[in-house]
Amino acid sequence: MPPYDKPQMQKPFKLRKSFATRKLEVDGIRSKFPNKIPVIIESYQRERYLPPLDKTKFLVPQELTMTQFVTIIRNRMALLPTQAFYLLINNTGLSSMSLTMAQMYRDHQDDDGFLYMTYASQEMFGSS
Amino acid sequence: MNSVSPSAVQYMGGAVQEELLEGRRTGSPARRLAVGPEAATEPDEVDKLKAKLILAWNNVKYGWSVKSKTFFNKTSPITVLGQSYLLNSEDEVERFHGAFVSRLWLTYRREFPQLEGSSLTTDCGWGCMLRSGQMLLAQGLLVHLMPRDWVWPNAQQLEDVDFEVFRPRSPSRAGGVPIPSFGSPRGSGAPPKSPAGQQAPGGVQRKRPGSVRDMQAEPLHRRLVSWFGDHPPAPFGVHLLVELGKSSGKRAGDWYGPSVVAHILRKAVCKTTEVNNLAVYVAQDCTVYKEDVLQLCEPSPSRDKGPQISSNGPQISNSPDTSWKSVIILVPVRLGGEALNPAYIECVKRILKLECCIGIIGGKPKHSLYFVGFQDEQLLYLDPHYCQSVVDVTQADFSLESFHCCSPRKMPFSRMDPSCTIGFYAKNQKDFESLCAAVGEALSSSTEKYPIFTFMDGQGQDYGLEGHSISPAGPTHILPPGRLSRNSTTRASTDDFVFL
Repeated sequence: MPPYDKPQMQKPFKLRKSFATRKLEVDGIRSKFPNKIPVIIESYQRERYLPPLDKTKFLVPQELTMTQFVTIIRNRMALLPTQAFYLLINNTGLSSMSLTMAQMYRDHQDDDGFLYMTYASQEMFGSS
Repeated sequence: MNSVSPSAVQYMGGAVQEELLEGRRTGSPARRLAVGPEAATEPDEVDKLKAKLILAWNNVKYGWSVKSKTFFNKTSPITVLGQSYLLNSEDEVERFHGAFVSRLWLTYRREFPQLEGSSLTTDCGWGCMLRSGQMLLAQGLLVHLMPRDWVWPNAQQLEDVDFEVFRPRSPSRAGGVPIPSFGSPRGSGAPPKSPAGQQAPGGVQRKRPGSVRDMQAEPLHRRLVSWFGDHPPAPFGVHLLVELGKSSGKRAGDWYGPSVVAHILRKAVCKTTEVNNLAVYVAQDCTVYKEDVLQLCEPSPSRDKGPQISSNGPQISNSPDTSWKSVIILVPVRLGGEALNPAYIECVKRILKLECCIGIIGGKPKHSLYFVGFQDEQLLYLDPHYCQSVVDVTQADFSLESFHCCSPRKMPFSRMDPSCTIGFYAKNQKDFESLCAAVGEALSSSTEKYPIFTFMDGQGQDYGLEGHSISPAGPTHILPPGRLSRNSTTRASTDDFVFL
């Protein structure tokens, strides 16, 4: 898998919109769909091997497990099962694949009400 | 003893002289540099020197920087692949020495047969992750085939190490003044060569329990090394690994990652007829599905490869679990974004303390290493970034020295790249069950909220999307524009939610 041409890097969602705007968005969508979890999925800033995801904002059924959620995103990106793909919560930690979105949301939602995830593959090694 | 050519002497400066005086055999890289095959065949002196300079330059370039000795603390234990050693006695130092030097060390090689589909005859500068992967697999094969706690009877002395413990009772170290470790000029390309024999006088005597047994395992040891030979027929050689990486979109000269290499190793073990009764499982999405592992290890009549290599090792005689294949479990993970999430360090330590762990392939950013243990806040590793001449493993008594490393090195956990693959080995089903329990416990110790990977009952497909109302291939719905138009302030942004 050759490195993808770096798409024009969009600023992270949090920097594109003010806290107030984001909060309003969550409040709006949660009032309409209280059983769905608002999730922001963005590429790790230095990701070079995974294709860009076409969308950033997702509304996810709360009973979905992380395993199922990852499968959906993998399919959306048309990844091979052997391709490394990780969703990092708040850009630092791995999630537990057996947990549901509701549990993830309860523990990790941002102050603005979104659940933030970063997707990344693995780094490659060699001496430049 | 090999002869030393004039240029080599000149090149090595004082280090060679010292070794000659000592008259002891060592397998130090520095020495191989001086008395490698080219010295014996006596080619043109200029070419010889040129080759050495290129080699030297490569080794500086690829990270074998000249550095001082590695210091080992005597008060806190050092862990090597599930065994801990407190280096406050000569016996313990000796045990550590055996444990470290007996691991297979696979490094960059040059002048091997051309890799198919390229003009490359070396993996210098790009193949380090493949080499780390080879070392991980080699460790799996050692525990699979060799006697338990096997130690290489001809293991070289440790080099470039300083055990504080010897200071008080070592006359030659009186005053504790570090001995200048390297006579030749900086940038010579050889790893630091110190008078290792004086580091631990009397401390590294040959007294290995079970050495007769270990001697008997030597033919198998040799054979195992030959499987990693740098020529196309070798079942785990760089030639085959590069070939198997092609289906992952990798070519000779590319950089590899720990996950890609895990899959390459899986394919290589599946393909070979040399090693029977062994399978490799690679976890996807940080999950090991127990039922999938069990299924993989069930005997498959279609892949009957005939008798095991039993003639070489009495220890691999028919065990009561012959029906069940042994398994190497590889778990590719990412322990953070930009840098290692420090919350995982404790967990990595606990994993390296497990007997079932066969090491971790990862490294510093861009610089792959094979992690085999730790002491305090530092990882102990084997480094593939040392360019050696190819060894013809088809020769009956090819030299094993360049396949073992006698210079243990450490690096801080904080520099560990978050991308890595963790390896485990289970000999049989019972072993696998205790592995699940032991690893599960180690994983739960993470100070981070979630474990770095999990074991699940059942098969992967049980947890997929089957039976769930969501079809993975089906269309996902974009909220129709205007549906939330009542809330005018958020209209523009709520419109682009993707409904799953």
